[in-house]
Amino acid sequence: MVKEKTMTEPITVSELTQELKALVDSEFKFVYLIAEISGFKRHSPSGHCYFTLKDETSQINATLWSFRFNYLNFKPQDGDKVLIKGKVTLYEPRGTYQLDVTDMQKTGLGELQAAFEKLKDKLAEEGLFDAERKRDLPEFPERVGIVTSETGAVIEDFKNVTRKRFPIAKIFLFPAQVQGAGSIESVCRAIRQANKPEYNLDVLVVARGGGSLEDLWTFNEEKVAREVFNSRVPLVSAVGHEVDFTICDFVADLRAPTPSAAAEIIFRDKNELLERINQIDYYIKIYVKDTVESLKDSLENIKKSYFFNKPVDMMNEYKMRTDEIQKDLEKLIKEKLLRVKESLLHREKLLKSISPEQTLKRGFTYVIKDGKIISRKVKVGKDEKMIVRFFDGDVEVSS
Amino acid sequence: MAKKKEDQGTFEYSYRRLEDILEKLENNSEENSLEDVMNYYQEGLKLLKICRQKLSEAELKIEKINAEELK
Repeated sequence: MVKEKTMTEPITVSELTQELKALVDSEFKFVYLIAEISGFKRHSPSGHCYFTLKDETSQINATLWSFRFNYLNFKPQDGDKVLIKGKVTLYEPRGTYQLDVTDMQKTGLGELQAAFEKLKDKLAEEGLFDAERKRDLPEFPERVGIVTSETGAVIEDFKNVTRKRFPIAKIFLFPAQVQGAGSIESVCRAIRQANKPEYNLDVLVVARGGGSLEDLWTFNEEKVAREVFNSRVPLVSAVGHEVDFTICDFVADLRAPTPSAAAEIIFRDKNELLERINQIDYYIKIYVKDTVESLKDSLENIKKSYFFNKPVDMMNEYKMRTDEIQKDLEKLIKEKLLRVKESLLHREKLLKSISPEQTLKRGFTYVIKDGKIISRKVKVGKDEKMIVRFFDGDVEVSS
Repeated sequence: MAKKKEDQGTFEYSYRRLEDILEKLENNSEENSLEDVMNYYQEGLKLLKICRQKLSEAELKIEKINAEELK
């Protein structure tokens, strides 16, 4: 690779630099480096970081691009001992070389890591992480507390997401110091305060933005964990970035990956709700319309049904029956009259055959005195007037 | 949660009642009298208005608890 330059022929600075660059690029593609940070500066507004990596005898300039800085799990500070993955590059305009840092981890975390694991095992054994004691969050929390720093992005993000999703909610901010000396007491106090009945909270969020393991350490403290455990109000833990897990996360009823995600988990989205409400509106109207229409149909059917039309049929039937009866009656009466007439005629004949008229016609007479027929001689006195009846008339006589 | 359900002033009460009415209309269509249906309908219209109003007109309220109270 290295060219045997005899330097007999002069070359330009650019040519030399280019050759050096090619050499460095190919030979030091990736290096792992143990070093201490000094002179750490974050450039504004680009967000790129410039610093020096050193050990007892040497140093090298280093750059960390803004987008990579955001993925670090700690905030680099002067004096931090770090393990770095990077690439050596050569900056041609100045003829300097530096390290382009692609990843950086803090070393010397062994003690904290061990404390974390120890507390985690202890609390797990005591049942503080038990799934059975995790409570469901209410579906529509309207009074939501948040324990976090009153300055910074966390509370702003939480407010913004809540405003967008469910502005019906009221947020109660319980300011707390979330890192450094006194933070443990501050967070515990805020959680206790938020649990007071006067606030009548539906949900409580304990939140903190991203940071190094030390920054988040407050939420790995036993006192804080126990305060979270004792919360009467269902509690959501939203500490650090998605990759950070704290003891507080394990104890809480629910862990949210970030503070904004907490608001997304807690609140149903206003627009989705409005959509559902429109749907309900539509369906209710459809059902009511259907009901009214099917009632109309069944009314129509009832009207047409045999049952409802029967009275008319019955009337018609009665009319016919009466007509028939009338006819029958008339016939009966006629027959009866005829029979009576016949029997009268017969009786008249019979009467005629036995009446005295016929006898009188043969020359007999009878005598009437004082309106009575004289049937014996003893009943006739002297000078009495009597009537003698012939078949064709009466003659007055005296005795 | 139970305390909320009974509190008629909350969004949750109105929204749940609305879902409830829809379910009653959907599931008991045979048993609902015309009077029931009309009553559900009237109540439903009222609740729809309340829910829409609450969602679209609400302004997020924030109360900061004074640090002195945090004792």
